[in-house]
Amino acid sequence: MKIFLFCCFSLPLLATQVLAELNLRELIRTVEQQYSGDSSQTRIEMTVKTGHWERHLEMESWSLGRERFLVRILAPKKEKGVATLKVEKEVWNYLPKVDRVIRIPPSMMGGAWMGSHITNDDLVKANHIDQDYDFRLLSEDQQSWTIEGLPKPNAPVIWGKIVYQLQKQPLVPQLVEYFDEEMILVRQIRFTDVQTVDGRTIPLQMTVLPVEKPEEKTVMHYRQLDFDVDLQKEFFSLRQLKGRR
Amino acid sequence: MLWQLALRNIWRNRRRTLLTLSAMVISSALLILALGIFSGMLKDMLASATEQYFGHLVISAGDYQDDRDMFANFSSSQALEEQLQREPQIRGYSKRLRSFGLLSQQRNSGPAELLGVLPDQERQVTNLHQHLVAGSYLQPGDSAGAVIGSGLARRLGAEVGDSLVFVTQAADGSIGNDLLAVRGIFSTGVHRHDNSLVLVPLGWLQQLLVLPERLHEIAVKIEDPLRAASFAARLQPQLEGQLQALDWGQMLPEMREVVASYDVSRMIIVTILYIATGLGILNTFFMSVMERTREFGVLMAIGMRPGQVRRMVLLETLSMGAISLFAGVILGVLLSLYMAYVGIDLSGTLSPITYAGGTILPRLHAVLEPANILYPALSLLLVCLLAGFLPANRAARMQPVVAIREE
Amino acid sequence: MPLIELKSVSKIYPLGSQQVIAVDDLSLSIEAGEFTVLAGPSGSGKTTLLNLIGCLDEPSRGEVWLDGQEVGGAPQPQLAKLRLRKIGFIFQSYNLIPVLTAAENAEFTLMLMGVPKSRRRQRVVELFAELGLAGLEERKPSDLSGGQQQRVAIARAMASQPAVVLADEPTASLDSQASEELLALMRRLNREQGATFVFSSHDPLVISRAQRVVTLRDGRLESDR
Ligand SMILES: Nc1ncnc2c1ncn2[C@@H]1O[C@H](COP(=O)(O)OP(=O)(O)OP(=O)(O)O)[C@@H](O)[C@H]1O
Ligand SMILES: [Mg+2]
Repeated sequence: MKIFLFCCFSLPLLATQVLAELNLRELIRTVEQQYSGDSSQTRIEMTVKTGHWERHLEMESWSLGRERFLVRILAPKKEKGVATLKVEKEVWNYLPKVDRVIRIPPSMMGGAWMGSHITNDDLVKANHIDQDYDFRLLSEDQQSWTIEGLPKPNAPVIWGKIVYQLQKQPLVPQLVEYFDEEMILVRQIRFTDVQTVDGRTIPLQMTVLPVEKPEEKTVMHYRQLDFDVDLQKEFFSLRQLKGRR
Repeated sequence: MLWQLALRNIWRNRRRTLLTLSAMVISSALLILALGIFSGMLKDMLASATEQYFGHLVISAGDYQDDRDMFANFSSSQALEEQLQREPQIRGYSKRLRSFGLLSQQRNSGPAELLGVLPDQERQVTNLHQHLVAGSYLQPGDSAGAVIGSGLARRLGAEVGDSLVFVTQAADGSIGNDLLAVRGIFSTGVHRHDNSLVLVPLGWLQQLLVLPERLHEIAVKIEDPLRAASFAARLQPQLEGQLQALDWGQMLPEMREVVASYDVSRMIIVTILYIATGLGILNTFFMSVMERTREFGVLMAIGMRPGQVRRMVLLETLSMGAISLFAGVILGVLLSLYMAYVGIDLSGTLSPITYAGGTILPRLHAVLEPANILYPALSLLLVCLLAGFLPANRAARMQPVVAIREE
Repeated sequence: MPLIELKSVSKIYPLGSQQVIAVDDLSLSIEAGEFTVLAGPSGSGKTTLLNLIGCLDEPSRGEVWLDGQEVGGAPQPQLAKLRLRKIGFIFQSYNLIPVLTAAENAEFTLMLMGVPKSRRRQRVVELFAELGLAGLEERKPSDLSGGQQQRVAIARAMASQPAVVLADEPTASLDSQASEELLALMRRLNREQGATFVFSSHDPLVISRAQRVVTLRDGRLESDR
């Protein structure tokens, strides 16, 4: 009886402490890689809305580890075949209309990816957030943790601060907030439509909200998600980018 | 006869007079030249900002010039263009559409600013066609040509005839991308233009951006760039709707301050130089008066009044001023003309300096402006008057008895 | 009424803390048409006295009357006018204006008086003929001999037909023959044109030619005959 009571009261306490000291970094990595895992293949619908237009895109993507990622537009027709390949720190775009591959130069990494509110930098650097930032538990309640990430000294980062709001059970992100160097909130990403797919519980919809332009947003909806698919490094090639098998 | 006496007195000590005269001639000539070169730099700066890119004034919608928002576009009306053609002050205007995006050639790519233009119009407003280092300018009717800056060409490894890909986001959100053929490469010496600017056909860019018939600005070149502000103010009430006429001073406020401060710094330079010259002249004038103390004594003894003595000495200094003014202006204008038409190229030792939105080119190149001659000329006369007045007064106050006794 | 009248005139120069009495309580009258020499040893006050008469200097005490007018205390411009109209000066070292020609030097006072050019020339030609300077009109002073220069100086002094011509040792820079000639010339002008001459000299020969000899000693009148 005594032991049972002890367990009831102290185990969660113990768990929290361990988390704070050891596992925050691990937690963030899990969250940041929720859509890629070791390897993945997905189909995504992306809706981008700005004050001037609204667009709807369908895409297909593949990833392998942290460093390899390929996405190709399936619709609309005008942009069918436009594709992006990321290998380590390099990003290339393929433009079928002119049949050219373009490398994104470092100076343009902050530019919008496919006209959305996601930047090329997001593609390259998001996978390294757990390595480039130091984390601290800001608050905790029954359902969630709030974790703050501050850049390590000299780390090549774009954000001055990132605040994660994570649901405990099952472990899924709810809201991630991005602050610039002056600690001003710049962007929010909301995660919704939590489902279990291929044995994992993840939010299938991701909404990017630029704070300065309240009427604008990018919504990514995962229509299909397969993990641990059979992909080789060689798949992520410029040849594959062009859609020639 | 006072005149004669004064003139002959000037020639009395030829060597000293020649030295004094040459000091005055050279200082005023060099000053005219220096101000001319100063004006040349200023004009280069203004030209680099306006005649290579902005135009003297720009008509655009709302606050397009503040943030270059792609959607702040407009379509030109027949009435507006007819009005621009009617204005006698306007030397030319150019309809433009602008886009920022990624320009790429094979494995190289970089950010670029594309200016969609009608070649015939653009060459009336900007002078990039005079800065071509390879190939040719855009031809009217060219559907997908590009004239690119030399720095950009070097970074991309592009040469005339190569094809480039431009990617940007179109106005409908789609990924606008298309091929361009390099027709020409320009080099202005202005880093900002050489490293990012590309001229492309207006129609090509309108199609790429899905902005048919739309414009971002109409750049205007006028007769006298220094009157751009008043001209823009006059044009403004005649513009319809959202359209705004901005002069270069509004687009480049620092440049406007530089131009405004030029007048002040010109006065400061003139003053400093002439204080130095003036002290030299004063010294020689004093010497020539002191040497003639006895003569002044005699003149006064035989009945010359102090006022006449003063006038005579002033006549001497003023006629020296007039002579050196004449020679100095001629020499200064000749030097300035040489520097205006030949100039000195310093690009081997200096690189261009960009300041207040304009670029000072590494060359000595003068511009002849009336004020650059007038200021030194008037100041020289003023200096001669001041430098002459003290010794003249001194001579007039001499006591004849004392003066005659002087050996 | 005498042309020149000095009434108890003293001229005292301050010299450091001391005072030099150059002219001491001297009274003297000179009539128009006189040919007077001031004699006396060096330092006796001849130059000082001539300066007082010539309105170049003011007396410390006493009065100087010129042509019925008291000249003391007038401002410089007015004194200059007075000198221009009434007095001709001849200096020991000629003191011609080097940049002007002989003729221009001679007509200078006329020019200052505003006499038109043609009349000036006419007067100069006359004077030059009289003074034996004909043909030298366009020479510069430096191209003339001492005697010629001094004759040009006489022409300059006489041009405006002044009431009195003052000359401070006019022959001191000349050799004896030139001195002789110059003196004869002055004497002739005095006789023929009635010009009043007052001049100083050390030279016994010159003194012997004077009509009236006023001898000074220590600023006082020693003899007058
Ligand atoms: N400006 C002066 N300041 C002080 N003393 C003076 C001045 N002028 C003249 N003296 C003195 O006054 C006295 C008279 O001088 P003045 O020149 O009249 O003599 P002088 O008879 O003309 O002599 P000289 O024959 O040598 O020319 C002299 O003792 C002289 O030193
Ligand atoms: Mg004497």
